[in-house]
Amino acid sequence: MISLDQVKTAASAFLEEKWEKPVAVTDIQKIYGGASRETYRMQLDVDGESKGVILRRDPPSSLIDTERELEYGAYARIFGTDIPVPEPLFLENDARYLEQAFSIMAAIDGCQTDVGALPQDERELLGKEKYAILGRLAAHDPIELGFDELMAVPALDKCAEEQLSYWESVIVQDEMHPQPIARAAIRWLRRHLPPAAQKLSVVHGDYRTGNYLFNTDGRITAILDWEMCHLGDPLEDLAWSMDPLWRGTEKHLAGRLVPDDAAIQIWKEASGLDYDEEAFQWWRIFASLKALAIWISSSEDHEHGEGKDSILAVAGWIMTDRQNRILLDYLAPAEVSV
Amino acid sequence: MIPNTDQALRNIAHRLMVSLVPELRSEYAMADGMSLGMLINVIADELAEGIQRRLEDITEMQEVLGSCELSEKERGVAEAGIDNYSLKAVNARHDELTSILIDWHEKSEADDSLGALNHAIWQYLRRHANRHVITAIPEA
Repeated sequence: MISLDQVKTAASAFLEEKWEKPVAVTDIQKIYGGASRETYRMQLDVDGESKGVILRRDPPSSLIDTERELEYGAYARIFGTDIPVPEPLFLENDARYLEQAFSIMAAIDGCQTDVGALPQDERELLGKEKYAILGRLAAHDPIELGFDELMAVPALDKCAEEQLSYWESVIVQDEMHPQPIARAAIRWLRRHLPPAAQKLSVVHGDYRTGNYLFNTDGRITAILDWEMCHLGDPLEDLAWSMDPLWRGTEKHLAGRLVPDDAAIQIWKEASGLDYDEEAFQWWRIFASLKALAIWISSSEDHEHGEGKDSILAVAGWIMTDRQNRILLDYLAPAEVSV
Repeated sequence: MIPNTDQALRNIAHRLMVSLVPELRSEYAMADGMSLGMLINVIADELAEGIQRRLEDITEMQEVLGSCELSEKERGVAEAGIDNYSLKAVNARHDELTSILIDWHEKSEADDSLGALNHAIWQYLRRHANRHVITAIPEA
């Protein structure tokens, strides 16, 4: 385990090298909940100028097995478009600074992620913006943005099948006990594959409450956590964002913000794309299966991995339980009582 | 001495969350400490009820599989008793039966004559999920 002082010392040395200016870390805090990377917020004095940065360091094990190049590359290609993301500054694969690879991004000050305390009118505003941004992301041409240099480009009629196969393989690899509900979901999804995607889009892969920053004016200032980003069917992100797990106790509000029909309408207008109800239902069930795969994987990671971060156990135990019940609601015959 | 282990764990979790965590200075450590406290409560519930819940699952799976034309090998597994009630042994028994259940669930989806079995398996899965609900951490 690396100490805050070690991060502080190594980060200032690294940034001095890069910027060729004196850099002092004046404040450092580790942020809880960074499931795939250790995340640190640092305030810097750069040759007399104050600057905030976020450092994301690879942990010994993580909730999501992803490539840091992919995440950093996504930030680099999205930054400067109409999708707000933090400015990517450095990607360092050399472990000599912090024992692991890391990336550094500009911090965005005065923002929060928790929508729980917001009054409903502010949530509605945020919901409109959240789904408009997602619509704009879906409308972008990923090839024009250069995403084909970064990741595989699936055929339109293979987007669903390839994603399903990937997450099925995660479950097969990481399950520590047989998973009857996950297996039933996989079989259902295989039997009901949706039609080809209407277009290829950049899929964020984890577009949900908690993964965007907003300010006191209710404006979204950054979409975060692109480590599961890939190219695919734009309905995938829409369905993921509306999974019941992200609703908390406000079951009628997509991402605790706006009703489902409002979210879909905003997305349609911003993306200019069609909404196919049947295909969307497939992606909703897929979204729950993918989430379950992540929770199963985190449980395995907590038990066998090097890192013993409590977030892995929280995800592995509690979220598996809740996600299984969500899938049951989707798949069990209606007459099977709750 | 026979300690009331589940209650002892709940007391430890309470002490951690109410007395120690508020004294921490780092937000990360506070959040981590609260999560650990909640996880200890989950473990306390599991310690108190976990084996009983699994035994109820095992009995129900045996009942569901009792209507199936099991192979000799499957029957041997399904009808075996339990002579060791440690959590590890009960888990292993639970896993064996669940694997057979998954196979028959798949068969019941492909064969219309197994509709009643399919329904019985879904009913079992619902009861199983309800039985194992984690209540120590409330939904946000």
